[in-house]
Amino acid sequence: MDLKQKQELLKLLRAELKDGFLGEEPSGENRLWAEVKREALVRAAELLLQAGGRYQVGIGYDARKSGKGFALIHSFAFDRDGLIAAIRAFAPAEDPEFDSLTPIIPGAGWSEREYQDLLGLRFKNLSNGKRLVLSDDWPEGIYPLRADIPYDLMPPSAEEVAFRLEQAPPGTTVIPFGPFHASLHEPAHFSVFVDGENIKGCEYRGFMVHRGIEKLAQTELTYNDIPFLAERICGICGSVHSVNYAQAVEAASGLKISRRAEFIRVVLLELERLHSHLLWLGVAGHLIGYDTVFMQAWRIREKIMWLAESLTGNRKTYGMVIIGGVRRDITSDQAENIKRVLGEVEKEMLQLEKAIIKDKTIQRRMRGVGYLSREEAIRWNLVGPVARARGLALDSRKDHPYAAYDELVFDVPVVEDGDVWGTMVVRIKEVYEAIRIIRQCLDKMPADRPLALELEGPIPPGKQGLSVVEAPRGEAVHYVLTGDGQQPERWRVRAPTYPNLQAVPAMLLDNKLADFPIIVGSIDPCISCTDRVLVVELRSNSKRLLKKEELESISRKMRPGK
Amino acid sequence: MWLWTKIKQLTLFRKAGRVTLKYPFEPRPAPEGFRGQPLWDHTKCLGCAGCANHCPARTIFLRDLCQELRVLLYDSSRCTYCGRCADLCPEKAITMSDKYELATDNREDITQTIELFMMTCQRCGRCYDMEIKNYLDRLQTLGYRYDSLQVRKVIRLSTAEFQPEWLEKTSTYSRPERLEK
Amino acid sequence: MKAAVVTLNLLYFLALAPLFEGVMRKLTARIQSRQGPPVYQPYLDLAKLIGKDNFNSAGNWVFRLAPLLAFSSVLAALSLLPVAGRASWFSGASDLMTLIYLLTLSGFSLLLGALASGNAFSAVGASREMMTIVMLEPVLAMSLILGAVKSGSFSLAAALSGIGGTKGVSYFLMLSVYLLALQAFVSRQPFDIPEAEVEILEGPYLEYSGPNYALFRYTLNLKRMFYSWLLAAGFLNFFGSPGLILSLVLQTAVILVVCVVVSVIGATHPRFRIDQALKYYAVLVLLALVAVGFGVKGF
Repeated sequence: MDLKQKQELLKLLRAELKDGFLGEEPSGENRLWAEVKREALVRAAELLLQAGGRYQVGIGYDARKSGKGFALIHSFAFDRDGLIAAIRAFAPAEDPEFDSLTPIIPGAGWSEREYQDLLGLRFKNLSNGKRLVLSDDWPEGIYPLRADIPYDLMPPSAEEVAFRLEQAPPGTTVIPFGPFHASLHEPAHFSVFVDGENIKGCEYRGFMVHRGIEKLAQTELTYNDIPFLAERICGICGSVHSVNYAQAVEAASGLKISRRAEFIRVVLLELERLHSHLLWLGVAGHLIGYDTVFMQAWRIREKIMWLAESLTGNRKTYGMVIIGGVRRDITSDQAENIKRVLGEVEKEMLQLEKAIIKDKTIQRRMRGVGYLSREEAIRWNLVGPVARARGLALDSRKDHPYAAYDELVFDVPVVEDGDVWGTMVVRIKEVYEAIRIIRQCLDKMPADRPLALELEGPIPPGKQGLSVVEAPRGEAVHYVLTGDGQQPERWRVRAPTYPNLQAVPAMLLDNKLADFPIIVGSIDPCISCTDRVLVVELRSNSKRLLKKEELESISRKMRPGK
Repeated sequence: MWLWTKIKQLTLFRKAGRVTLKYPFEPRPAPEGFRGQPLWDHTKCLGCAGCANHCPARTIFLRDLCQELRVLLYDSSRCTYCGRCADLCPEKAITMSDKYELATDNREDITQTIELFMMTCQRCGRCYDMEIKNYLDRLQTLGYRYDSLQVRKVIRLSTAEFQPEWLEKTSTYSRPERLEK
Repeated sequence: MKAAVVTLNLLYFLALAPLFEGVMRKLTARIQSRQGPPVYQPYLDLAKLIGKDNFNSAGNWVFRLAPLLAFSSVLAALSLLPVAGRASWFSGASDLMTLIYLLTLSGFSLLLGALASGNAFSAVGASREMMTIVMLEPVLAMSLILGAVKSGSFSLAAALSGIGGTKGVSYFLMLSVYLLALQAFVSRQPFDIPEAEVEILEGPYLEYSGPNYALFRYTLNLKRMFYSWLLAAGFLNFFGSPGLILSLVLQTAVILVVCVVVSVIGATHPRFRIDQALKYYAVLVLLALVAVGFGVKGF
């Protein structure tokens, strides 16, 4: 949190952009909210990139109510200085056009395509202008994130509409992985182009589990209802999203929660990391055909689920986080129980690790598979264990400390392997680090109160807050713009799988088809985290029973080989 | 070396044995502090609608039937067992039980209804300022269709502000054709 | 009498093949700290599958023919087998080449079925199955040919007794090759590449359901039992030819032991990729050739 860096950046922006730079919104020392003119947005992004920033996410919202048109924010993280800089530009409502960042930052493509679909913004020089988020039979001209569109709009659905996928390069056939496939947890479509057993390319079509979470939060729910919704964004990293949202609102409104509440949040987050990594270990074993590793890893994980149930009341949706703190305390009995369970888990994990780390057959399936070099990892803005396996020392707990992490001592494992085996080693080491962190928390937790702050007045509208949390899969970013009516005006969730998925086609090139599941599995895809914004599209309420021959003929017509 | 790792893997199950529980043939009680189905205590409930106002799933309803009767309906279809209602109740009338075996084919089994006889205001003779403070009436002003207690489907007419003519103006109002390859 | 023996042998195979699958599933589950299904579960599975609607999802007659062809060719192969060391009723009209052809026919009908499915995943599974058959059938053929070389006749009973006859270098080499290939013959981890895949969703069997699928699974179980039987009645036949019942009991015991070993190896290995497996098979084929060479030379 170097104040100097923030001042230097401001000086740089002012000098280079001249009258393109409109001002800065005052905030804490580790956030920079700069306002620029629409035409200067790309130049500002370029400057921040050259100054060492890492692109995080693009955020757009409908600001027509206040007369400003449409807003677009791009946020950059400066990891060595613990600073996050966000540049915002407005476009008038009658001409919502921006310049695309994709020529300099290819990873910005998804954010821009998302707002193209959801807000109706237009981007010049956007490299891939296809629909990202909305389904293909959604009517044109209806942009769900705009304030005048209701959250439960149900336009008439259509059959016989398909996403226009890329043509397979000559000499290859298309193998469709998805939307239903045994190796994917959630629906997603990977159209893999193979030549025999070698993968020559891949195209991804996702956002099939789009549930309308951000819109729901902006219209129907109030500040304290949203952590319960955020928890259900993902079935594995639930408290990550609820803590992240709570931190963003607390940052926006300037609330300072008690130290004990921060420690309890850290315990919940690390417990979640433990169970998530054990889950991943099992799934990775299953994807290479090794079911014994799957069963044993999940057997160890079950102990953590029981621990969470006795601590929070539920195995997975902890429901412990609200704005201002946490809902339950950790008593000394519970602390003893936690230590006992952690001891057992550590012992069994050591046993499991010794059994699989030197196994030549597992190494033959995972070494050299899904190789991506360090430069490519930087180019695609990878985060999380996927990046740490390629030599990038990125961890939001160290770079942008939040909750109680500034007081805790732990290591961040980084390896240079660059393949799927590296991600496995990183995740196994993180399990031990997580156990170490929880033990420290239980010892260092202060006894101050209150666990949940009583707010004196309503949260003021118009304030921005951005928070990052290290999810088990990487860095998750939440942005909140407070609004009136005790609701956020805009809440943007960027899960860590968002940038990681964009790198999967690069990881798949020149690997064998049999390695497809383990490569996709190595980024630990949490596709429910990745697609959240906007309205669920329900079919119309009419029902009709299809006869057997009709069903047969429809399914035969829809066959991908045709 | 290879053989040794295989033997180690083979013996991973030795200490743990068989971990399959005999549930449902043996009961499995929930731990203490488990958030199961919320149970209302009708002797303590005031009818303040605190639980109804703060339920994130909007599954608790309050309605004035007539001058003296207020009905609280816990329609558990969307309940997420978060426990906010129990936290907020000023009279501690709600407890989160440890019941988790709640699957049924009849909604009545898990619904709870409380009918509260209310005192009347001595000045104006009505329950109290229910048109504004009553959560359900507030819902109705926004368009929730909840006419009677028998009709459980609460469908919010948020499309009340949306003009269907906008759909006609869009370029793909007619059912879209299959996009050409 | 001889017809009754053949029928008895067929019934023996048909009745016990799902049981061995059940034993393998139970043992795998126990290694994974689970309870596992009861040992008779595969019978219930087959009964359930047969009771379902026979759905022709590919719409052509080859799709319907393939499982029938696979099942019937395996049954035909089984009826040729000598029982308790005595040649079967069909030995006048068949020899070990017929056996090999019938087994290969069964494998090919799986390929036919996979390619008739018209599904991209089935096509990938079919190509993997094809590569596996091309590399593995020579190992089976050479085991039997070694026996034929040693005993001097191509008849099946003679070949079987010839394999286990003189225990020289060729015998031990062939035995080790066969044991190393056994895991691939019975299609268990690490070699269950063509079928039962997370990657290609069961590959060749993807489009099959109901009675068609029941026939394919039964074929697979019978083939597994056959390969274990070959080990018991060929390589490990230490008891000569005792009475009918006794030899059946001994065979069952040996097959059970083989099932246990196969399950243990299957539960402790991930699945290999097809290119890794092919390198492994190539080495096995070479070693089998060397073993036959030794056998010809009289070792």
